[in-house]
Order: sequence, then C-alpha cells, then structure tokens
Amino acid sequence: MNTWLTQHSQARQLVISRLRENLFGNLFIAFTIAVSLALPIIMYLALTSFSGLVGSIKNDSHMSLFLTTDATPTMADSIHNTLATHAAIKKFQFISKEAALKQLANDSQNENIIQTLDKNPLPDAFFIEPTDLESAAINQLKTDLSQLDGVEAIQIDHAWLKRLNYLLALGGNALWVLAMLLGFAIFAVIGNTIRMQILTQQQEIEVSQLIGATHSFIRRPFLYSGAIYGLAGALLALAIASCVILLFNLSIVSLATEYQADFSLRLPNFATLFVTCLSAILLGVVSAYITVSKSLFKSIN
Amino acid sequence: MRYLMNNLKYSHDSSSNNAMIVLDNVTKRYPGSQEALSNASFSIEQGEMVYVTGHSGAGKSTLLKLVAAIERPSNGTVLINNQNISKLSESTLPYVRRKFGLVFQDHKLLYDRNCYHNVALPLAINGITGADAGKRIRAALDKVGLLNKEKSMPITLSGGEQQRLAIARAVVSRPSILIADEPTGNLDKNYADGILTLFSAFQQVGVTVIIATHDLLGTANEHKVLHLDHGRLVTPQVVA
Repeated sequence: MNTWLTQHSQARQLVISRLRENLFGNLFIAFTIAVSLALPIIMYLALTSFSGLVGSIKNDSHMSLFLTTDATPTMADSIHNTLATHAAIKKFQFISKEAALKQLANDSQNENIIQTLDKNPLPDAFFIEPTDLESAAINQLKTDLSQLDGVEAIQIDHAWLKRLNYLLALGGNALWVLAMLLGFAIFAVIGNTIRMQILTQQQEIEVSQLIGATHSFIRRPFLYSGAIYGLAGALLALAIASCVILLFNLSIVSLATEYQADFSLRLPNFATLFVTCLSAILLGVVSAYITVSKSLFKSIN
Repeated sequence: MRYLMNNLKYSHDSSSNNAMIVLDNVTKRYPGSQEALSNASFSIEQGEMVYVTGHSGAGKSTLLKLVAAIERPSNGTVLINNQNISKLSESTLPYVRRKFGLVFQDHKLLYDRNCYHNVALPLAINGITGADAGKRIRAALDKVGLLNKEKSMPITLSGGEQQRLAIARAVVSRPSILIADEPTGNLDKNYADGILTLFSAFQQVGVTVIIATHDLLGTANEHKVLHLDHGRLVTPQVVA
C-alpha cells in the first residue's frame, strides 16, 4: 500500500515537472480542450436558464373563457357555480366587462380610443387556472366548458409555451450531440498529445521495460498527464463559459428589464463544475490508457 | 558491497539444485530470419563468472536476452531460479527481470537527465525513493568511481565513464545476476581492464556475472566460456 502510494506520488511529481518544462505548449493544449468543452457548457447553461424561465411561466398559465356580449348575469352566475365545483380547475377569477373596460382605460394611451366608443365592446370573462397542465386534460376541460350556456369562446394560452418546450427539448438533444462530438475531439487531442509524449520518452520506456518495469509503472505517468490535461481543460472551459455568460448577461438583463422580466443566464454552479471536471478527467484518463496500450509494449516480447 | 551479499539470500530461495540459470535445448527464431540460437543447453551456477564469446552475429545478444527473460524461447525451456520463463505470464515477467542487472551494448543511458537520475531509474521501478534511494545511488556511483559526477549529464562523460555509469545503474538495485553485453567493446585497453576488474569485484562478493564479448581477454582464463558459432554452442568449457 505504501509502495503503491509512493509510486503514485512519484508519477505525479514526474508528470508535473515535465508539464512545467513545456508550460506554454501544454497551456495551448489545455486551451484547445477548454474551447471544445466551453461550447457545450455555455449551451447547457443557456438551456437550463430558459427551462427555468419556462417553469416559472407555466405556473401562470391559464385559460380565458369569454361570455357572449348579450349574456345575462344569471348565465354568468351559473357558469361561476360550475367552475367553482369543477375538479379540473385550481382557481379562477371573474372579470366583468365594466371592470375590463376600466382596466383598459387606465392606460392613458387607450383613453382616446375608448372615448370614441359608443358602447362597451368587451365581454365578461373568466380567467381559469387548471390543476393539470397536460394538453389532454386541458382539451377535455375546454370541451366541457364550451358546452355551457352563454360561452362565446375559450382561449388556451399555452400553445406558444408548448412550442417553446419542444424547442428546448430539441436544444437538449442538440446539446447531447454537440457534447458527444466535442468529447470525441477532446479524446483525440489528449490521445495525440500522449502519443507525442510517448515518442519523446521512447528510450526511457524501453530501458524501463528491459530492467523490469511493469506495464502499470510505465502507464501511470501518462494516465496522470491525461487527467491533468482534462482537469486543466475543464477549469479553463468553465472560466471561458463564465466570461461569455457574464458578457451575454449585460445585454440580456437590459432586454429582460424592457419586458419587466427578471431574467439572466445562469453561471456554472458547483454541480456543473463537478460534472465537467469529472468527465474531462475521465476522458483524459481513458484516452491516455488506450493510447499507451496501443503504442507501448511492442518493442519487447 | 554487503547489500549484494544480502540479496543473494532470496535469489535462490526455493531452488533444490544449485543452478541459477538452466537452458535446455533452447532455440530462438525471429520472424523472417534464421535461427539466432539453436539447441543451446547449459547451466550457470550461482556466483559464477561466465563469458559468452563468438563473432558478431553469432547469437550472443540473443542468448543474453533469453537469460535475462527479455525474450522467450521459440523451443526448449529457460529456467531462472527454477521458474520456467515460457510458462510465466506477461505480468510476472517484469518481476523476474528485476533479479538482473543489465549493462547494454549501447549503454542505453538517458541523456535527458544527470548521472544521479540515470542510476535512480531501477530504484524507482522497484518503488524505492527518497533518502534510502539517495544512499544507494551514491554507493553505486562510488563503486564505479563516478561519485563526483552525480550532477553531470551523461553526454559530458567519456566512453569509459558512460560504461561505468551504465554499470552503476545495473548494480544499484542489488541484483543477484549481472549481465553485460560487450561492456568493453569500444574502450581502449586501460578502460577495459578497469571495467573487467569491476565485474570481478562483484563476482567475488557472490554476484553471478555473465559477460558477452567478441574477443576473449586474457583475464578470462579461469572462467567458464560459452562459445557461439552461428547460433550453435560449440564447446561449453572451463578453460584450464
């Protein structure tokens, strides 16, 4: 156990001192890896930010039920009662045509238009929040309610939401494809770098094998190299992604303010950091392992 | 020097007979070439000094590689401390190789590091580092007379010094068998004699020494000689 630990710290020291010797070149390699990693990270953060936004809108999602303009207060009362007992309705609000007109008039821009009207064109309306947001349930509720007396039209406000959800799902799939392709690129970059290292250390490897080095002894420093490239790439990638998001947020926040929305893109959190570093290290180690196994152990036996 | 003696204790742990290395009817063929070694049979006892002679291309290096468990035989058996090399798995071979100290024909020194770190390599492979390793490295460098050069790069050393550095690397992990391929090849007589004296000194403390050479030097008189001719062992004999 002790020997094992010593050998590992020995390999680590060796690798770190070698990486330091060619610091500039190695930083470049780490930067290449970082750029490949930064793209999916930025995309992931943007997608989660939008999903969060959609989640918050979902709660406000409602149906609008408009009565015919000639509907009597009795009709409205009976609809009110039906809605109050309906199981699929979470809550609802009644806005009378007078109240609606008043609301409209509150906006000074509309004042002139309203003054030209000889009668109130607005209908009474119920704003309904359904318990279940599944489209089947909503459609069922819509058919139920449209049969009631005095109902002119029912409008469902979530069609655009649905489209956005599809888009986000598409984005999620695109993210996976991008992450896989770029993961392969990182795999190749690290593999090639390790192959170059093996070439420059060919003599040492050969001598070590001749005098009794085990395969794992020879492989170990390269595995550490791969892991370090992965980790350095991941940390740089997170830094790049954070910078890009902060830059984007400058314009996004002002845009969101225009819409009275409190929205900005999320910065990487601890979980993102952890997963990115872990997967990059794994990629590095696996790539190094395969490269070493393929390139070595040919000269002997 | 005492550490070399101590090491001998486990080098013949479970052996019932005294022979350290036994080759029985060993043939080695490389793909696409003739037999490099044909039907060689001999044994080497512990503490012996053995010369492997023959013209160049006679199969000396092949024989040494078989003895050092670097190559496996195409036919026949190679026993090292009663372990059959052909039957050992790939993963155990490195541990067998560690019993040997190897001096290569072309030194195989690493020119990207100084003398100290060249000698440190076998110890690192054995998992020995730190102060313990430092002591052993300096002892080995001292033995070959290079203690004052520990910080020098190998490229700055003379041919004889490089050869001695290679020997220091071979003995630093206290092997029970020392194998040298043409150790005096490119050296003038003075240097060559010095190297051979060094090998004799190791043999005197119980290390088995096997040396391949293309010219049998006068000093070899009292030692066993394995003479190769086109891959065949001609007369394994003790020169009287």
